[in-house]
Amino acid sequence: MFFGRGVNVARYDKQKYPIFEKLIEKQLSFFWRPEEVDLSTDRKDFMNMPPHEQHIFLSNLKYQTLLDSVQGRSPNVAFLPIVSLPELETWFETWAFSETIHSRSYTHIIRNIITEPSEVFDTIVTNDEIIKRAESVTRLYDELIELTSIYTTHGAGVHTFDGKRYDASLWNLKKKLYLTLVSVNVLEAIRFYVSFACSFAFAERAVMEGNAKVIKLIARDEALHLTGTQHMLNILASGADDPDFKQIAVECRQEAIAIFAEAAQQEKEWASYLFQDGSMIGLNAKILSDYVEYITNVRMKALGFEEMFPSRQNPLPWMNAWLVSDNVQVAPQESEISSYLVGQIDNEVQDGDFDDFDL
Amino acid sequence: MSIPRIKVNHFHTFYYQYEPTLLDALEVQEIPAPYNCRGGYCGCCKVRLLEGEVEYVQESLLDLQDDEVLTCCCVPKTHIEIELPESS
Repeated sequence: MFFGRGVNVARYDKQKYPIFEKLIEKQLSFFWRPEEVDLSTDRKDFMNMPPHEQHIFLSNLKYQTLLDSVQGRSPNVAFLPIVSLPELETWFETWAFSETIHSRSYTHIIRNIITEPSEVFDTIVTNDEIIKRAESVTRLYDELIELTSIYTTHGAGVHTFDGKRYDASLWNLKKKLYLTLVSVNVLEAIRFYVSFACSFAFAERAVMEGNAKVIKLIARDEALHLTGTQHMLNILASGADDPDFKQIAVECRQEAIAIFAEAAQQEKEWASYLFQDGSMIGLNAKILSDYVEYITNVRMKALGFEEMFPSRQNPLPWMNAWLVSDNVQVAPQESEISSYLVGQIDNEVQDGDFDDFDL
Repeated sequence: MSIPRIKVNHFHTFYYQYEPTLLDALEVQEIPAPYNCRGGYCGCCKVRLLEGEVEYVQESLLDLQDDEVLTCCCVPKTHIEIELPESS
């Protein structure tokens, strides 16, 4: 899948892993635009919110904006130079494209509920709590991108530039790649869900419902993306694709677990930051932290790791109703089937098909 | 072919009433079957199929072991016996 021969002709007739083509098709069938969702009542709702709830709402939106800024660019920059299967290459592109829609939808939301959007956007990169987490989100991406650029220009091996030593050996690159995929999985599978929980908690009280509709569409995409990274990680760890990765997965096990642990810890701290001025009905820092533990366990199990926290039931059972992909309601009068594909009519006609047809 | 019978370990056994998916059948019986996306890609509704066969009505986008099925994607074809994951 990675570091093999170049992708060359974009042909999809012979696929090593057809699953990525299926993911692409699913993602394309999910296509949506933020402008489809009407946010006019959200503006009124937002004005009527007490300040501590406005803080919860805006902070989450800022954090998600930042996460999607990373995800809209980095998969392309980091993975495309080293990918070696056309179907996987296209999946990365489709994946990153859908993240750009998410980024545009945050602007759509902010523009609709606030008179001066700059107040929100300008404070994203000055918020200490956000910066703290952004560092761990981007660290592995940065390291992989740096090493890959050295690898592509100078070849595999250890190189020294300006007195600094860079280990661009294939082994180290593969290791970095594996860990980057783990951290991407953590980003999409755990970090996003904390914000999702808050958005859906507002909508459970029938406020900010337009926003929740947008977030629901985003959540649907993210669930698909994390399936994609889980597939990559599981294929790599099995060694079926490249025997090196089997050993790397074993070697990096502790580091991978540490990535999960760090993210869970940071998200719990974020939960207390969100609710520092007061809780909202149906959600507080404790419940949200419990949810972080629950979701971390679920995601770790999907990758074959031991559960990190004591196993518990889903502390936010109503989340499920928001994560259902079918019948995502865009406007009150229309309900859209998520797997709707155009041009899927069955054109096969058999000789006997009109036998019981009388005029 | 008789109506498929569904046995859910640690819960009860019932007859399939031709709900659109196995997941819907479990929900009608008020068995707490896990789910999220209902679209075959999140993997939350994964259960173990101990006995019998199922028919897929929706494509699953997940890597499954031989004895695993996604309840949101299939319906029973024969009498079946399934087991829900522990944590649910």
